[in-house]
Amino acid sequence: MVDQLIEARGLTKTYGSFGALDGLSLAVMPGEIYGLLGPNGAGKTTTLRITAGLIEPTTGSVAVSGFDATKDPVQAKAQIGYVAEIPILYESLTPRELLEFEASVRGLAKDPMNRRARQLAEAFEVVSAFDTPIATLSMGTKQKVAIIAALLHQPPVLLLDEPLNSLDARSSRILKELLSLHVQRGGAVLFSTHVMEIAQRLCSRIGIIFRGKIVAEGDLDQLRARAGEKDATLEEVFMKLTNEATEVESTVRALRESFFDDEDR
Amino acid sequence: MKTADAWRLSAIPYSEMAFRSILQNSSNMWWGSFGRGSSEASGREDLVKRALRIARFDKLVVTVFVMVAAAAPFLPQVLGASYGISASVTLSLAVSFALIVLYGVQTLSSFVTSGPSPVLSTLPLMREDVSLVNLLSFVRTSDYLVVGSVACQIFFVSLVTGSALSGLFMLLAGAVNSVMGVGAALWLSSVFYRNLLGSKQGKRGGVLRLGLLLAWGVVVLGIGILFAGAGYLIPLVQNVLASPDALTGSILSLVYPFSLGIGVGSTAQGFALTSVERLALGGTVVYLLIAVAVSRWGMSSVASFSEGVSGATGGARNRDTSVPLHEPVTAYALKDLRAASSNLTSAFLFTLPAFETLVILLIRAFLPTLGASTILVAMTLGGMVSLVLPLVLVTTEGTGFDFAKTMPLRMKTIVFSKALISTAVFLPAAAVVYIEGLLKPLASPFSIVIPLASILAVAAASMLEIRLFLGFAPRGRATFALQEFARMAAGAGVVLLPATIYVVIYILTFNHALAAGTMAAAASAELLAIAGFVHRS
Repeated sequence: MVDQLIEARGLTKTYGSFGALDGLSLAVMPGEIYGLLGPNGAGKTTTLRITAGLIEPTTGSVAVSGFDATKDPVQAKAQIGYVAEIPILYESLTPRELLEFEASVRGLAKDPMNRRARQLAEAFEVVSAFDTPIATLSMGTKQKVAIIAALLHQPPVLLLDEPLNSLDARSSRILKELLSLHVQRGGAVLFSTHVMEIAQRLCSRIGIIFRGKIVAEGDLDQLRARAGEKDATLEEVFMKLTNEATEVESTVRALRESFFDDEDR
Repeated sequence: MKTADAWRLSAIPYSEMAFRSILQNSSNMWWGSFGRGSSEASGREDLVKRALRIARFDKLVVTVFVMVAAAAPFLPQVLGASYGISASVTLSLAVSFALIVLYGVQTLSSFVTSGPSPVLSTLPLMREDVSLVNLLSFVRTSDYLVVGSVACQIFFVSLVTGSALSGLFMLLAGAVNSVMGVGAALWLSSVFYRNLLGSKQGKRGGVLRLGLLLAWGVVVLGIGILFAGAGYLIPLVQNVLASPDALTGSILSLVYPFSLGIGVGSTAQGFALTSVERLALGGTVVYLLIAVAVSRWGMSSVASFSEGVSGATGGARNRDTSVPLHEPVTAYALKDLRAASSNLTSAFLFTLPAFETLVILLIRAFLPTLGASTILVAMTLGGMVSLVLPLVLVTTEGTGFDFAKTMPLRMKTIVFSKALISTAVFLPAAAVVYIEGLLKPLASPFSIVIPLASILAVAAASMLEIRLFLGFAPRGRATFALQEFARMAAGAGVVLLPATIYVVIYILTFNHALAAGTMAAAASAELLAIAGFVHRS
């Protein structure tokens, strides 16, 4: 049994002259929902894609359940269920064909897999779309299919990139309950979001990511202490720790003074 | 909005459509973190520029081909044939119509499934303006083709007849033909992508899809045969039109595109029109009106496409969620077959090697015996054509390939599954040769080894190609096309080597048994070596 289900060490990732990650390190323990909280372009998706084995880091390493994602990708990927921000699926297949492909490749046992597929399909209300090409489904239904595919093999590690974005209230609630059950059974979740309320309510630990680095991490009280704001909301803590509070204030002031009085409108 | 403004604005949704189409078919083709020496695409800006360059290059190449095809039927008159031009114009119109339809259907998938630019609908523009911009962005998919083919036709008609009136009439006929072609492409895309792929999949849907693909294959082959037989067809049709049998001529004069062809031909004859020509001119007016109706339908259809395809989840009665299981290689191959058959271009390629071999054997059908050279040529050509399949199988992965990359898959599973399909597709070509061998005597009994050795060589070449496609990311300034060509050339080398060995050994020894045996040994060695290389991946 490993202590950390996810361990990222000194991750950097550059695209040409642009640095998406700058020495990011984090660890997620069993029974933990770790929220990666950061503004757009901070490096959340890059971190998740590296952990899922979709891209390689420029430097640094990630281990999933003790398996190095770059050196031992097959073992590492067997431990992971991944949901991308925009669902990545074979769109010409139907949900049934996609799950058939996934379950076969992962070598799942037929009866338990079919039982889970039925339970998940009913819970997320995609049974009626089971034989419809994914390309023609709504974004929300595609997201549900991606979630079912990520949960089907009951992986110890779930990597979820803004998974609630396209979901309706019912499915959001079900997913949150499933995540709670998952961590109660010793699993781990690495969860990216830029919505403060979701991070505050769902995550046992939060890492604030800014310009490719974790600038602070801990539960809400630890983050408040770090920011020196005793009763602050997560949003206020976030603004303080990312040094954006002053900039946002001046931007809002400028907008208030000119935006609605613009005579050129 | 002025049409000129709409045309300028339509460049934006057209670029977006071309980008989406290229992105869907060619991104993430390499196996990313599993492939040695892999890297990601060098930035989105590069990707956009590259996609647009590929789209423009693709369209230019097709345009040159269409222009050649539209000009070829006029060759007899240019070389001094004395008969009229009606049959040449008809054939030129038929071929350009068919090519516009073929190209249109293959490039319009993203347009039909999600519309050229839903963003336009959110701007403060009149609905009619949005429709016009969408229509013009759609027209941009075929603009070079249409202008190129019509210009060619006008040039040759004017050259052959020396009549400005004929050239003018050709302009009208070409415009009608182009509108009909673009309209047919739009309709076919709509039928295939919206009604067939957008509906629930079942056995009936599968049969329907297969039927449509085969029909499509027959149409493509028909165009090839029509084009190849132009030299015989033109004088034959011209004779029918000039014959005193008014009934056949009258019927043809009302059939599309004969009406237009005879109509253009009649303008070169002066004002003394025959009854057939008068009928054809009447038919031309009818087709002109139909073209106007088609353009109006096209405009309304394109407007509706911008709303996209809705989630067709109407089958609430479905209660079955059972998911069958397979071995990983079989599951991957099944997934590939399903993905490839959802695309007309890639699906038809599966039947190409068999058609190719059949055509070669039909050409040699008059030979009393089946010689080793016939079998060798047929198998090598069939094998070379089937080497296009690995590229097709890799490109049909599209952006969905990222899903596979999150699976605990080894590269060898993917390579073996795709090679399995490529080799299976080649098997009918070998079967055709064996059947031919049963029907007529073989020049040498040992030549029956050639198809078997070719199957081994095709399997080895497919594995190598796929391994190369997946293992290494495109690098440097060389274009995708050039790098794809280099990888396919490696596969071609693997197919050609055993055949070359057969030829060399036979020339040196005049011994078919030795040549066939050495060829089989070479193909087996290739297969073992490449399978070993892939297995270590």
